[in-house]
Formats: sequence, C-alpha cells, structure tokens
Amino acid sequence: MLKRVLAEAVANLLASRQRSALALLGIVIGAAAVIAMLNVGAIARNETIRQFRQLGTDILMLRLDSDSGLGNFQLADVEALPGEVPMVTEVAPFVIGGGSVLHEGNVSNGSHLGVTADFASVARLRTQSGRFISNLDRYELYAVLGQGMAQQLSTPYAPVRVGSNLRIGRYVFTVIGILEPVLQSPMMPVDIDNTLFVSVPNVRRIMANPAMSMAVARIRPDAEAEAAVRQVERYFAPKIRDQRLSVLSARQLIAGMQNQMQLFTLLLGAVGAIALALGGVGVMNIMLVSIAERRREIGVRLAIGAEPGDIRTLFLAEAVILSVAGGIIGIFLGIGGAWFFAWLSGWEFVLSPSAVPLGAGVSAAVGIFFGFYPAVMASRLDPIEALRAE
Amino acid sequence: MLELVDIGRSFRVGPGEMHILRHLSLTVAAGELVSIMGGSGSGKTTLMNIIGLLDKPTSGQYRIDGQDVLRAEARELSRLRNRLIGFVFQSFFLLPRLNAWRNVALPLMYRGTPEAEARRRALAMLERVGLAERTEHMPAMLSGGQKQRVAIARALVGEPRVVLADEPTGALDPKVSQEIMDLFLELKREFGVLILIITHDPGVAAQCERQVVLANGALTETLRAC
Ligand SMILES: Nc1ncnc2c1ncn2[C@@H]1O[C@H](COP(=O)(O)OP(=O)(O)OP(=O)(O)O)[C@@H](O)[C@H]1O
Ligand SMILES: [Mg+2]
Repeated sequence: MLKRVLAEAVANLLASRQRSALALLGIVIGAAAVIAMLNVGAIARNETIRQFRQLGTDILMLRLDSDSGLGNFQLADVEALPGEVPMVTEVAPFVIGGGSVLHEGNVSNGSHLGVTADFASVARLRTQSGRFISNLDRYELYAVLGQGMAQQLSTPYAPVRVGSNLRIGRYVFTVIGILEPVLQSPMMPVDIDNTLFVSVPNVRRIMANPAMSMAVARIRPDAEAEAAVRQVERYFAPKIRDQRLSVLSARQLIAGMQNQMQLFTLLLGAVGAIALALGGVGVMNIMLVSIAERRREIGVRLAIGAEPGDIRTLFLAEAVILSVAGGIIGIFLGIGGAWFFAWLSGWEFVLSPSAVPLGAGVSAAVGIFFGFYPAVMASRLDPIEALRAE
Repeated sequence: MLELVDIGRSFRVGPGEMHILRHLSLTVAAGELVSIMGGSGSGKTTLMNIIGLLDKPTSGQYRIDGQDVLRAEARELSRLRNRLIGFVFQSFFLLPRLNAWRNVALPLMYRGTPEAEARRRALAMLERVGLAERTEHMPAMLSGGQKQRVAIARALVGEPRVVLADEPTGALDPKVSQEIMDLFLELKREFGVLILIITHDPGVAAQCERQVVLANGALTETLRAC
C-alpha cells in the first residue's frame, strides 16, 4: 500500500515538474545551509585539534609589557620558575624581532627569535639536519632556520643547508641547523616555519631594541591550566615591578576558539533553520495550490471509496517526497560547500557523521510539518463540492 | 434493496431556505434499471448524491438492504460507497494522470486488493466493455465514448450492487450514446446490478424498465413495464 501511494505521489509530482522544482528550492537551500554548518563545524574542530597536536595543549605563553613597549624578563627569574612553581616543568624565554635575511640574492622576511637551548624542547621542535642553538653558543654567528625560510632562501644552484652563509644586516651567520616542517600554532606569536633562531647574546647584533619579553612554558599534563596561570602570575608579581604580565594557556585559547566556533555554527544553523522554514512554507503553498487544482480528482477518489485518511496520506506523501528530495540535493550541496570552504582555507576536509542522517531527518520533518495542514484540508473536502469543481 | 422514505433536502441560500427535495419516496429492487428524468435544476443530481451516500438528506429515511445508512460516519460511508456503489458521471471524471487500467483498478486499490489481482480484474473488465486494446492508454488519448466505457468499467470492477449514472450519455453523440446504453443493458443482465440512470434523453429513458420523473421535489412514476 505504502509503495503504491509513494509511486502515485511521485507520478503526481513529476506531472507538474516546474512547480515541484520551485517548491524544492527552498528546502534545498535550507538543508544545504544546515549540512554546510555541521560540516564546517566538524572541519574547524578537526583543524583546531590538528593545530594543537604538535605543540600539545599543556603549554603557557608568557608575555611582559611595559608602559614604553615590550617588557623585559630577568633571565634568572624565568629560569627559576620550574623550581618555584611545581606545576611548570620547563620554561624558555625568548627575544622576538624580525627582518630580512639574504642568501645568494634571495631575500626572506620573517621573524627572528633569540632563544636558549631549552626552546627546542619546550616548543617541541626537531631539527631535520644539523643541531639547534645550545647554551654554549654565545657570540658565535650561528643561526637555525625554519623549514619554510630555508626553502625560500635556497636557489637551484645553492640550496640552504648546514654550513650555508646568510647575511643579516652587517653580519654573516652560518647555518647550523634546519628544523623539520611545523604547523603554525595559534599559541605561538610567530610562524616557526618562517623563523630564524639565534642565541640570546646575538640578538643585539640583529635587532635595534631587543627585549626578552616572552617565554613559553610547559605545565604538567595533569595540572589545571587556570591554577597554573594563577601561580605563575603570583610568582612573577613581586619581580616585575610596574610591568604587566599576561599568561595565556593553550586550553583557555582552545575554549575561546571553540566558543567562537560555536557562535559561528549557531549563526549558520539559524540561517539554515530560517531557510528550511521558508522552504516548508513554499511546500505548503505548492501543496495548497495543487489541492485547489485537483479538487475534482479528490472528489472522484472520495466517491469511488477513498477514505479521508487515504487522501491525507496521498498529499502528505507528496509533501514529504518533495521535502526529502530537496533535502537530499541539499545534503550534497552542503557537503560540497563545506568541501569548498575546506579547500579555500587549506584545512583538511572531514565529513561530519551526523550530517547526512540529520539533513534527511530534518527535511522529512519539515515536509510532514508543513504538509500536514494542506493534507488535512484535502481530506476534509466535501465530495460533492469537490466533484462540482471545474 | 434501496429504500428512500419521505426524503427532504433543503439548502440554505442567504437568509432563506430552498427546498429542492420534498417528501420524496422511492423503492428500487435489486437488479432493476430505472431512469430518472426531470427539468434542469429539479434536483436529480442532488438525489443521486443522497442515494450515492455523498450527501445526507435534511429529513427522511434511507435504507440499503434494510440498513439505516444515514447513521454511518465518514469512514463507514467511504467503505459503503466502495463496496456497494459505482458512479458514472456525465463528463467521465477519469483521473488524468492514471492510464486506463489504473483508473479502473482504483476502487479495488482503496479496498486493499493486491495490485496484481486488481490489475487482472481491471483488465478483464476493460475487455468486457470492449477496450482490451486500450488498457495502457491515458485518458487524454481516448475518445468520449471510450472514456465513458473506462468509467463504466471502473464503476463495475468492484462488483457493486448499485450503479448510479448521472447523464452518462449527455456528452456523447447519439450513435455512441446508444452504444453506451446497450452496454448498460448488457451489464445489467450479466451482473444483475441495480442501475439508476439520470437522463434528459427520452430515448434513453424509454429503454429502462422503470421510468420516474422528478418534479417539484418529488418523484412520479410514469411507467412500469417491459
Ligand atoms: N450546495 C448547494 N447550495 C445551494 N443550492 C444548491 C446546492 N446544491 C444544489 N443546489 C441547488 O439545487 C437545485 C438542484 O440542483 P441539481 O444539481 O440537483 O439539479 P439537476 O436536476 O441535477 O439539474 P441538471 O439537470 O441541470 O443537472 C439547483 O437549483 C441548485 O442551484
Ligand atoms: Mg445534474
């Protein structure tokens, strides 16, 4: 019986193709928006996880500011931090700057960091070739390059490798190490891939006003991020005088990003819901028109022995088929849209597992909800009046 | 088999009431062929709607096989129509999107007959009305006479006890009209079904064993013979 009703409903919809297609459109847009929203959410979540996979989430970024600009940590204070605050396991202060680096006529404009040997382990950097800056490197003109910068400076005849010479300002530095490629992390103030590392004493040679204004710290994986932040702030409070310390934890940053993501997702969801509702009203409108046109048919069916329920089922089936067809097209469009978003932003595409069943379910629900009133109207028609209709 | 007693049917029109049927009584036995004539607007279609359980009279009693059918509610009426009554209309009223055999099979479908059996019976009935070659045709591809044959097949496929035909030949030319009339006469003999034909055509009425005329809201029998 159901099969027959569905077949008949499909035949009726095909008979007025143009109108059916128009009614479909709203549902298509609505379903596409909902599906795209779900999928973009999943893609962004996946991306966040990916961004923090390298650096981990048990990390703090410390930054000192003074009234005149960047603040200045005392190296001894920073290095004593793990001993004084047990939640912190490692810490590495660094000096941040930037400028151009020359190699064989190639120029690279990137960040320059003055770091201690600990920086590599705290920020989980590995060298692809050579070694990282050690604490024994002081005024030797040694530099370590991020993968991206090394490639940018390479020429076909002279690739940058350990031993290559770079010119920075008036100095010629020797490359002692090149890092493995690193994903850019939202925690890091610089793109590691596009950064040049030198020892702290060397920063005076390549920066105008160097200041040890930042430090990256790792906390114990079981430590509570907020407690660690508070303890670090308390530790530094008497030592920094009128400078201002800000401590950012990766977990707080992730929470913030997720909040933002949620807002965005909600917004898209609202747009989708509105479009679906409009689509539903469109379906309702088309069904009402179709019923008005087919009054005589309804009259004949009733005279022949159709029960009101049969009429209701028939028209409800048409509305639901219309909505589900729109929903299915919308699912494909939505997934396509999400794929396009991933492609544009260079993020990895993932398919949200709930997208397809949810899209189909929601559009079927819209069909039932908005198809119900017209279907009931049709089933309540008086057979005589319906038969008399032209 | 059909028993209408003292039927009244009035319509509210604006402030007043129009009494279309008044103290109308009619009894028809199973297997009879009855013609109903009457001027335009005399209430023939109104009467047929009441007999066909599509409408309820304002007053009076109506029994089919002794059962008081005025008490039945909508779903029960649908079932009674489906099992007991077949309709034939002046302008055929075939469903435009269904082909001939699907139109014929429709009453069986609403009865829940499996599709294969419904199709078999529809095809047999189409063959009986002389349309064995047109079973897959859409209504738009059939002539008026052929459409009416499909409609008659649809009315009879469910083996009803009563066939109600409202001016079945009104839209057809005299030759086709007579063919349809012949078909009614054959089917009456073959199936023993009670047939009520509303008509304006005295020639059609003359072929019926009973002829009644509707005037002033009531029926007068002009002839009972054959
Ligand atoms: N729902 C209604 N409301 C008001 N008046 C109605 C209604 N239905 C029928 N009538 C009136 O009842 C009268 C009889 O109508 P009916 O259709 O039964 O006539 P008829 O005998 O079949 O005429 P015809 O031969 O032209 O088909 C007409 O005057 C019509 O206007
Ligand atoms: Mg009439």
